[in-house]
Amino acid sequence: MKFKLHLPPDKFNLPLAPMLDIALLLMMFFVLNLKLVTPQGNLDLNLPISAPNLVQRADVNLTDIKVGLHSDRNGVLTELTLGSKNLGNDDAAFDRLNREILQIIGRPGNPLTKDVEIEIDADFETQYRYVAKAISQCTGRIDAQTKQIARYVEKIRFAPPHKPKA
Amino acid sequence: MKLRPLEANSPDTDMTPIIDIVFLLLMLFMIVINFENSKAEDRTRLPKDGLAKPPEVRPEHELVLNFGYKRNRDGSKAESTPTVYFNDRDVEVGRLGIELDQERRAMEQQYGNRVIDDVTVLIRADADVPAGLVQQLVQKCQQNGFTKFLLRAMVEQK
Repeated sequence: MKFKLHLPPDKFNLPLAPMLDIALLLMMFFVLNLKLVTPQGNLDLNLPISAPNLVQRADVNLTDIKVGLHSDRNGVLTELTLGSKNLGNDDAAFDRLNREILQIIGRPGNPLTKDVEIEIDADFETQYRYVAKAISQCTGRIDAQTKQIARYVEKIRFAPPHKPKA
Repeated sequence: MKLRPLEANSPDTDMTPIIDIVFLLLMLFMIVINFENSKAEDRTRLPKDGLAKPPEVRPEHELVLNFGYKRNRDGSKAESTPTVYFNDRDVEVGRLGIELDQERRAMEQQYGNRVIDDVTVLIRADADVPAGLVQQLVQKCQQNGFTKFLLRAMVEQK
């Protein structure tokens, strides 16, 4: 006589908890690394239309400050100048510009420098990134203690545009 | 009478739906993070600056000028000359005067003749754009009576 044995199939218990742990960890990683929108901010630009302020302030010995940005034909910065002084062409040059401006005005928010204008004189090809950086370094710095902007000079003026290099 | 002890019931929680949801969320974030990183289609790649601060108050009247390059899918420049994206079309800086004049007239009709003094021109220029063209853009705006300017930059986080 033949017997057929009907046994219930073995229940296969896959341990799901470790997989869930790893999935949650991965999800946390991506959530924490996600920046949906990179914040954008404004650079205040007070562009006077009037003629340059050539009045020399005898009390602080200030005239208009001239910042020059010279570049090659591809727009890469070759020389950053303050007046006739060459500050270099690397990131440190912009830090030097910031220090020099601070030296000129004395201290941030100096009321005597309220009417001082900075003239940005950039070659036609100079990439805008350098101009934006120069404007930023001329207008102030982030105070390390208060994390607020310490203003140097508010009025920025562009020199008449140069012609493109032939 | 001999009684058999009851077997302890192990609580069998069904984990399948929770794993489904977790994996769906995981996929969503992986895809979104890739989009965030590529940004190939962005016209203007703003310069980064530590001093750029997100605006606390939005100007009452604002004119946004996007100045950049048409770009291919891989992010490379499709054209060598940057254009201003204005009223849904690309305009070269040299030809922007007419557009700005029309914009000024439209604003004056809507808000009154003195509105131009209160309009802030927000320049969103690509970091690679030649400075001379940005200056020309500012000049064109000034010639049409606009006096307030803001430069837009990405906030550089150190």
